[in-house]
Amino acid sequence: MMTHRQYKEWIQLSVLDELTTDERELLGRHLDECGECRAELEQLTKFTSRVHQRQLFQPTDQLLQEARQELRVALRLERMKQPIRVTLKTWWEALSSGSLRLAAGGVAMVAIGMLLGYLIFSGGDTSEGSFVGSLEIQETTFSRGETRVTNVRFLASETVEGEVEFIFEAVTPIRMKGSVQDPAVQRILAQALVTEQNPGARLRTVSTLGAYAEQSNKPDQEIKAALIQALKSDGNVGVRKEALRVLQRFPMDKEIQDALLHVLRHELNPGLRIEAINILEKPVVAGQWRNEEIKNVLREKMESDQNNYIRLRARNVYEEVYQQ
Amino acid sequence: MQDAELITRARVGDMMAFEELVYRYDKQVLSIAARYVQSAEDAKDIYQEVFMRVYRALPKFEFRSEFSTWLFRITTNVCLSHRSRRKRHTHPSFDGDGDEDHGASLAESIAGEDATDRSAEGAEIAHHIQQAVDRLSPKLKMVFVLKHYEGLKIKEIAQMMSCTEGTVKKYLFTATKKIRHELSEMFD
Repeated sequence: MMTHRQYKEWIQLSVLDELTTDERELLGRHLDECGECRAELEQLTKFTSRVHQRQLFQPTDQLLQEARQELRVALRLERMKQPIRVTLKTWWEALSSGSLRLAAGGVAMVAIGMLLGYLIFSGGDTSEGSFVGSLEIQETTFSRGETRVTNVRFLASETVEGEVEFIFEAVTPIRMKGSVQDPAVQRILAQALVTEQNPGARLRTVSTLGAYAEQSNKPDQEIKAALIQALKSDGNVGVRKEALRVLQRFPMDKEIQDALLHVLRHELNPGLRIEAINILEKPVVAGQWRNEEIKNVLREKMESDQNNYIRLRARNVYEEVYQQ
Repeated sequence: MQDAELITRARVGDMMAFEELVYRYDKQVLSIAARYVQSAEDAKDIYQEVFMRVYRALPKFEFRSEFSTWLFRITTNVCLSHRSRRKRHTHPSFDGDGDEDHGASLAESIAGEDATDRSAEGAEIAHHIQQAVDRLSPKLKMVFVLKHYEGLKIKEIAQMMSCTEGTVKKYLFTATKKIRHELSEMFD
């Protein structure tokens, strides 16, 4: 037995021409008896005809021609990229087999050794903290304010020959001015992102690092790590969101992929999960990122995410990629 | 020539075959995109993204579904994740109308429809409807556009959006309810 509510749904389907002949007949009989449904049909017909006034819109032939022209250019560029990829692949295959492999391994070891030597012995004076020592060799300037001593704790209650021993915290404001490209500035900002208590300041820090990422061809690893940490664990959703936005400007690599999957799996804010799936979509669909973990996360999301939009997006991407 | 044959040729680098495949369906792709985003530039962005995805993924296409089904699924995916140029940048939109009247942009740039020839009331109503449609969530808007402006059947929309027909109906009912609610004064 049809309920009144079901008939109301049928009225909508009838206006959209989605009823079978039998259903239409059944609805017609109900309409003969029900004034409320007749009024609803009249209202809905009026509404639909108004909505369809906008149906006249059609992309012009000119727009189609422009789109085709632009696509041709994009395809040409895409094809030009392919020989480079093929060359690199050939190189890699040559290197990863036969006698060249041993030679390449030796060269790599020497390079790694030189890099480690540089990192270990070029640290400079670290007495003022790991970052301050390098400030003077950059164009960055800094000046100290007055040191504030707080939280003093005496370690020994009795003193010998007038000696005292205690711990205190010294907070010295340092004013710093320099390019966001300066590694010293970047290191401090990366540290601040992890240790700063004020979420507003952390947010500002992420935005500043974002400006750097926009300018830089090869963003710093430490900054990327700090941003990923902020994305995964910052207590403030605004900071996490900004970190995600900024990370999109970095080259998409495995670490970022893992961070995005972490967000999809563990982030409570649905907006961030949606953003993560949007970012994942492109490299996944393009075939740059395809592995079992991504597949599993997408399946997990399409089956059980609390947010139905995320379920839909995950299903769409999953089916586009894995059910071609 | 069948789609399958064109796909086979395109996969081995025959660009003429790929173009032929594009031309079979690109008008509808552009139409869906234009009606969804209401902006000529954004529609072209979506169009390009859709066919670039198809081009890159074609070697792995396994004919488990119709090519057109797969293509339109990609189209809805790209639409749903698309960020408008207007949202990405704060400068005025392509038609120079700033942020005052997004709904008018399509009329001017896509349709060539001369709004001045229509009654002021009709234009006003159409404008309000467009605004109400734009305020829907992406999935509701997508379903509404595909049904009302593309004239697709619920079954087809369900295939494109990888969901059940029941879900599409639910989206349609919700979208209709929301728009009617927003425009209740106009229709009462």
